[in-house]
Amino acid sequence: MASSAAVSTAPPALSLPPSQFARLQPHAYLLAHLSPPASSQQPSIRANGRAPSQFRVTSTNTGSLTHTNGSSVVRLGDTTAVCGIKAEILHTEDIASWSVSHSSSSSTPNKRRKLTNPTEKPGEDRQDGSDEVEDDDSYIEDFSLLVPNLSLSTGCAPGFIPGAPPSALAQSLSHRVLSLLHSSRLVRSEDLEIWYQRPNLGPEELERHNEDEQMDVDVEQDGSGSVGETREIKAFWVLYIDIMIISLAGNPFDAAWTAVLAALRDTKLPRAWWHADNETVICSDLVSEARRLSLRGLPVASSFRVFEADAASGWRAVIVPDAEEERKIAESDRKGIQRRWVLADPDGYEEGLAQERVCLVIDKDQRQNGKVVIVKMEKNGGFAVDRKELKELVAVSAQRWEEINKILGQC
Amino acid sequence: MTDRRRINGPPGGTRPPVFASSIKPTTVAAERPQRQRQPNELRKIFLKTGLIPSASGSSYLEFEPSASLSAARASPQSVIPPSSSLKLACTVHGPKPLARSATFSPNLVLTTHVKYAPFAARQRKGHIRDASERDLGVHLETALRGAIVAERWPKSGLDITITVLEAEDDRWWADAPDSHDAAWGMMNVLAGCITAASAAIADARIDCLDLVAGGVAAVVADETAERGVSAPRLMLDTDPADHRSTLSACVVAYMPARDEITELWLKGDISKASVGIDDKNLTHEALIDGAVDAARGAHSVLAEAVRESAERFAGLSSGKST
Repeated sequence: MASSAAVSTAPPALSLPPSQFARLQPHAYLLAHLSPPASSQQPSIRANGRAPSQFRVTSTNTGSLTHTNGSSVVRLGDTTAVCGIKAEILHTEDIASWSVSHSSSSSTPNKRRKLTNPTEKPGEDRQDGSDEVEDDDSYIEDFSLLVPNLSLSTGCAPGFIPGAPPSALAQSLSHRVLSLLHSSRLVRSEDLEIWYQRPNLGPEELERHNEDEQMDVDVEQDGSGSVGETREIKAFWVLYIDIMIISLAGNPFDAAWTAVLAALRDTKLPRAWWHADNETVICSDLVSEARRLSLRGLPVASSFRVFEADAASGWRAVIVPDAEEERKIAESDRKGIQRRWVLADPDGYEEGLAQERVCLVIDKDQRQNGKVVIVKMEKNGGFAVDRKELKELVAVSAQRWEEINKILGQC
Repeated sequence: MTDRRRINGPPGGTRPPVFASSIKPTTVAAERPQRQRQPNELRKIFLKTGLIPSASGSSYLEFEPSASLSAARASPQSVIPPSSSLKLACTVHGPKPLARSATFSPNLVLTTHVKYAPFAARQRKGHIRDASERDLGVHLETALRGAIVAERWPKSGLDITITVLEAEDDRWWADAPDSHDAAWGMMNVLAGCITAASAAIADARIDCLDLVAGGVAAVVADETAERGVSAPRLMLDTDPADHRSTLSACVVAYMPARDEITELWLKGDISKASVGIDDKNLTHEALIDGAVDAARGAHSVLAEAVRESAERFAGLSSGKST
């Protein structure tokens, strides 16, 4: 190892094992690994043995928790996230603003809401536009149908007091998962809607239909258009997405998001219908009738940190480097002396040493020959990553997408 | 009041799904899970230490799924699981200095936290620990306090955190709560917590008098084909979902090498049940002995897990010196 070689030149009384050197001089330790002396002929490698753009070994397991609609365990190196999704039902009568938005929406040129408008013809197929971008998902955000919460108070790392309210980090991670769920429009609103087709039948037929008139959420009955115009949303599924970080060794967001993704892919919702007599929603307990969510794409998150050779970079005010500095960096780059390293999937040790962070969420559009789509891009804490580096990182993230796609496909 | 530190669901609240079969329970009565084990046969336990490197000690414990559950997993028919199997993760942080504000303590100060994940049970759990979870924490603390050699770490603290990922049911899901009903599942959870915490403490190299193992025994009555509810019987390591009714249950924390019980928790009344039964062995003593036997069984798994942990540690330290 590079550091032990460096240490061995010191007097024997001062020599330290690498693990202690790593604790005493973390910055120098990582720097020594990343920029080994030219004479040693060693490649630039991180203290954890990975190449700068290498992610940790990732494994997932889904469906192992009994009481969930969908669950997953994701291990990203030593970081472990468990995600469980429980679905509950939100009746529209429990939504305070339902009747208001319901009636006011009739004037909006919105297909989904038009369906609920009695003056319109309801027979048009809901399925035909399901893949179109202009699909309406405002219900998910308006009625908070997705409720992700991330918990770090599981003893996952020292410093998080169990039993205490969620730390700032846990709150920010929960919020980032929520905003990404909303902005990526991963879950389709129509998967969460529970519809009711009011039967338009004679009294003698009603009796017969009591058993099986219940309308499936997504199956259109033949000729329903001619039966009547009373088709309405009676309830929504609410997905409580709870992520427990069981073990934390850096990069909790990627682990949490991958866990959410895997759990959502595993989620099955039972068939549900409005029972008019009981005035409630009843679910079928048959597995054969339960259906999976049809997710939009597969947004994969990859996080990076920028490690700088300048040990004081953490204290320095974040300002744009002037021309002089820029020139110096460019010169050292030309000489082959690297001053900055972008580290993919940082572990806990590296997170403490690198201030600047980049988080990219990438998807590949399967219908357009795997064209890379940037779902989210977040960069803060420094100025090392500019346009050129970001482009490279997008390419790295695109590779990571392939990896995750393969891993999720296996489970 | 809403919790402003968490993302709350719809303000009007949501309702857990109601299944068609639970409205007409006659259709599912045949599917009641049955215990496939002998009365003194224990479930297999999976126990592994050191899965959480950032903690000083850690363990993960899982009970073998019951026959009905594994059958339901293999060929899923219903979305309602017949029973569940315990899964929990335990971490130990410490010994570490006590907070400045803490009063002086000549001993190691033990704090225990038991928290169910929101998705651990059939009904969604809240994010804030409720009274039963705090109670479990207190039971766990008393079970472990007697085993740790606390004088070796004055002015230090030890945090034990348990996250229950999947809990046991209190009864079969389709049964209505009756007079015998209590939180029976909690006792199995406690037994698992004790065993897992003991492994994690050993994994953190905290000196203990002995390994503490948890065990459960219960007096249960089953439904028989010919005459309704059968005579109560004593069984070890019961899954409450397997039985028609649980009359009494007992959980112990037991140190086999010293033959000592550090924690005893017995619930339910068997005095009435044993009236008119010719079985004279159905006493509290027999119940406690049964729980101790179950703990002995758990101890063998525990000892194996701790041995693995010690081997790993020995391998690490020899690797360091070279």
